[in-house]
Amino acid sequence: MSATTMNRSTEWCGRDSLAGFFRKLCRYQNRPVRFWIISMMLVLIGLSSLKLR
Amino acid sequence: MLLWLFQQLGQDIRLFNVFNYLTLRAVMATLTALTISFIVGPAVIRKLAALKIGQSVRSDGPQTHLVKAGTPTMGGALILVSVTITTLLWADLSNNYVWVALFTLVGFGVIGWIDDWRKVVEKNSRGLPSRWKYFWQSVIGLAVAVYLWQTASEPVHTELIIPFLKHATLSMSAVAFIALTYFVIVGSSNAVNLTDGLDGLAILPTVMVASALALFAYVAGNAVFSKYLGVPFIPGAGELAIFCAAMAGAGLAFLWFNAYPAEVFMGDVGALALGAALGVVAVIVRQEIVLFIMCGVFVVETLSVMVQVASFKLTGKRIFRMAPIHHHYELKGWKENQVVVRFWIISMMLVLIGLSSLKLR
Repeated sequence: MSATTMNRSTEWCGRDSLAGFFRKLCRYQNRPVRFWIISMMLVLIGLSSLKLR
Repeated sequence: MLLWLFQQLGQDIRLFNVFNYLTLRAVMATLTALTISFIVGPAVIRKLAALKIGQSVRSDGPQTHLVKAGTPTMGGALILVSVTITTLLWADLSNNYVWVALFTLVGFGVIGWIDDWRKVVEKNSRGLPSRWKYFWQSVIGLAVAVYLWQTASEPVHTELIIPFLKHATLSMSAVAFIALTYFVIVGSSNAVNLTDGLDGLAILPTVMVASALALFAYVAGNAVFSKYLGVPFIPGAGELAIFCAAMAGAGLAFLWFNAYPAEVFMGDVGALALGAALGVVAVIVRQEIVLFIMCGVFVVETLSVMVQVASFKLTGKRIFRMAPIHHHYELKGWKENQVVVRFWIISMMLVLIGLSSLKLR
């Protein structure tokens, strides 16, 4: 495995955990998709209020 | 499992009867699958990296993809575990459709797992030979098709529904039904697998289609709504909304790790299983044509490969710069993120068109 490949495989692995969630989230500003996912989850929770009461 | 538990508890404490509602269980299934994947995901990725289960990248592909070599793959196992556990927790386990869907998901997952394992761990570039892969896919697809035909209690359970037309159905013989079911399950499985070539490209359309199928399953399993919307009433199909909700939740959580730049790829174990699962749900709720519309991105990706191969064999010329078509756009100068997000937008539009068939007829 080349150095570049090793970097790729180790750089992004296993950093995330629920602990320190927001701190790490802000570090990955090149990942708008994660913010979309959070938005989508919030929209789902909002929609569930239609039924859950 | 939890449904049974809550039903027992509901005899003494009425509050637990709220879990009899399909909608609540579907929401809980989404949240459960999300939570499982979020908690287990990082550990799975670390384990895959430690085992050096890294993706190999085609040398003739776009040069920008060479950096992806070595990224952990087989992350689809995370989705499978999450969906299976969630479904077993929240669905009614006395429902046959739930078991058919789980059997298809796990069966195709096992085929994908063996293929990935041979390619990545045993360093066998051929993986599972194509003929064996299609053989086992066919065995599972045909077994499911025959089972569904045998257990269909009313003609409407085996008719082909034409969307956007009122009362337009085609009666199918046993052979036609089994052939169509086989085509839908195996076809959607391989179509998702072909699409899974860019970070996040396959998983979000899968989540969107699964969410839409959850709605179709809920409507088909509800006597009042199905009559009002003019879709066939299929008793028990509503429980598939739990299965689809679990797929949507697990898929969304997987996208967290699969978003550009991906920490993990789903591999065949995820792609084959998710595609087949979408197919089998569509067959059970009698929405094969709507699935074809909603999975338009997967269909076009597959067609681009077929057209490219046919053209090259017949004329020696290539129609696309590279197939599947997402590579064609990359070579035209679109950034990977642009291709992915634009394909998501197209997929969202197609899912909306599919959903509109519920009312427009």
